[in-house]
Amino acid sequence: MRIRIWHQKNDAERDFFNDAVAAYNAAHPDRYVEALYKETEELRNLFIVASVGGKGPELVYGPADNLSIFALTESIQPIDGVLSEDYLAQFNADGVISWREKPWMIADQVGNHLTFVYNKEMMPEPPATTDEMIEMLQALTKDVDGDGNIDQYGLTWNYVEPFFFMPFLTGYGGWVMDEAGNPTLDNAATVNAIQFILDLRDKYKVIPRESDYNIAETLFKERRAAAIINGPWAWAGYGEAGIDYGLARLPVMSATGKWTAPLVSSKGYSVNINVDSEKMPYVQEVLEFLTNAEMQADMARNIASIPTIDTVRQDSVIQANVVLRSSLHQVEVGLPMPIEPQMRQIWDGMRGPYQLIMNGASTAAEGAKLMQDEVEKRIADTFL
Amino acid sequence: MAATKKDRLFLMALLAPTILIMLVVVAYPFFENVRISLSNMNIYHIRDWEVIGFQQYAAVFAEPRFWNILMKTFLWTGVNIVFHVTLGVFLAVILHQNFVVGKPAWRILLILPWALPQYITALTWRGMFNYEYGAINRVLTRYLNLPAVEWLTSPFEAFLAVILTNIWLGFPFMMVVALGALQSVPSELYEAAEVDGASKWSQFWNVTVPLLKPAMIPAITLGMIWTFNNINVVWLVSNGGEPNDQTHILVSFVYEAAFSMYRFGWAAALSMVIFVILFTFTQIFLNRTKATESVY
Repeated sequence: MRIRIWHQKNDAERDFFNDAVAAYNAAHPDRYVEALYKETEELRNLFIVASVGGKGPELVYGPADNLSIFALTESIQPIDGVLSEDYLAQFNADGVISWREKPWMIADQVGNHLTFVYNKEMMPEPPATTDEMIEMLQALTKDVDGDGNIDQYGLTWNYVEPFFFMPFLTGYGGWVMDEAGNPTLDNAATVNAIQFILDLRDKYKVIPRESDYNIAETLFKERRAAAIINGPWAWAGYGEAGIDYGLARLPVMSATGKWTAPLVSSKGYSVNINVDSEKMPYVQEVLEFLTNAEMQADMARNIASIPTIDTVRQDSVIQANVVLRSSLHQVEVGLPMPIEPQMRQIWDGMRGPYQLIMNGASTAAEGAKLMQDEVEKRIADTFL
Repeated sequence: MAATKKDRLFLMALLAPTILIMLVVVAYPFFENVRISLSNMNIYHIRDWEVIGFQQYAAVFAEPRFWNILMKTFLWTGVNIVFHVTLGVFLAVILHQNFVVGKPAWRILLILPWALPQYITALTWRGMFNYEYGAINRVLTRYLNLPAVEWLTSPFEAFLAVILTNIWLGFPFMMVVALGALQSVPSELYEAAEVDGASKWSQFWNVTVPLLKPAMIPAITLGMIWTFNNINVVWLVSNGGEPNDQTHILVSFVYEAAFSMYRFGWAAALSMVIFVILFTFTQIFLNRTKATESVY
């Protein structure tokens, strides 16, 4: 009996998962769990295509924002038909994710949230507000060898990607959609948030002129940036790079007094709609093995993931883990990631205009209007 | 002698596996794509889709970005092919000369861009185009005293960056084809041309080029189809059409529509438009150049 899992776990998380799967396989010689890594986008698209075609892996692991697309395409089945009520009752609201009043995912962690990560040797204390942050970053941005080029930046992050723009939007009180799922991007909050990032780059010159994910990672790991904004998937890699790093909440936006709040979403497993009744008991057992309290406690201790079972979350050993405590501290002020299917069009529609602003082809105000128009067009196009 | 019924049956039996495979891997997907292009299949109708006629085709031609991207795709293909062929033939002619020392080493070195996995080369070039840390801007600013270029964030420069990467990736193929063809040119033809007083340039145009044509035209045709549909380089170097979808070619636009926006019907219709363009263009090109005639 073979049970396949497609997942998008990275780095240390993936190593831990592979070890857990290997341990399960060793203890169950009559069956074989096969774990296959895929990039987030590839995983979502291929899973839909495979499932609609009557195939695909038995389990799919990823962030909760895939759920509505999977449910809409009838690629997955409700989780309460797979796991018992008693088992599900252990989990908090972050652990059993519903959409349109049906539970579709069992999550083993809360996360995917961005946090302020700083190199303690370069930045002993993190900033509490954005004003304080700018001041610190200015002191940390240096031309070390005097050749006229900046060798060390105060901060870096993948600032061309809309997901990484969200904390600044929320810091100015903005949000991506209203309750009906209509985009809400053409407003002062968006303009101010964009202008804030432009000022960091062009006025204060404390972030690199161009920085995608890989560049940001390289700069921080090579100690050419004192701080980075990144999520839980990346933190272990900083430790491996020998950086004495600390995690802190993204600072309060001085102009508004609001937290620059990242999006927070759960990550977990959903069950392919094509799983037949013969395989289902095995799938159920694997799911329980991968999400139970013992596994979540191990994950929390080893990879600092935030558990979705409250009794595990409150465990004193886990509370003593400084990375986990800092991560939870950030989650407390994070905002839940919307799981409506329109999010796809919102991310894609924001990206282009946002890049036009960053390369100077549009002003922040023009860009905000372009974002709104582009997202509205994409949502309308999807219905044809 | 006329083939007997038994011979014909034997021939059919030999051809049957090939015909079956072609039906499964070429004909079925093609006609399925035609069917989807006439449907409303999208994220909201992925299981209950139905045929709606030519609405998706009308929507393709009504999409304002389509025409712009179509022109860019022609430009992308044309510029790439011109450089692939020119550079490829130029290098092949050089490598064919007797005075070149260490020919095998040069051949290996020049084939490397083609031999390396395309995604590695594309991502390496993306890194080299970085404004602040990329090798290209470093060379421009430090050694040539020129201003740094915003390769990946400005639309024109980003498109140029994608083209430069693809030129780097594509010339070795043309060079290898040209080199192979040059090996078969009899040296007597050059000797006769020299006796007639023809200059080196005249020899190149009147002897080398005509004899390269039978090998190069099919290679150029293939190169055009590959380049027209080369999503890898565009997607990886420009990170999926960035900035603001300004570096898309038609095939990357199709990919985005299908797998980012889940507009399967629309994407299938655009795929058919691409097929018709390529089919028509290839037929005209092959007929005009009479490429196949000289082979027989």
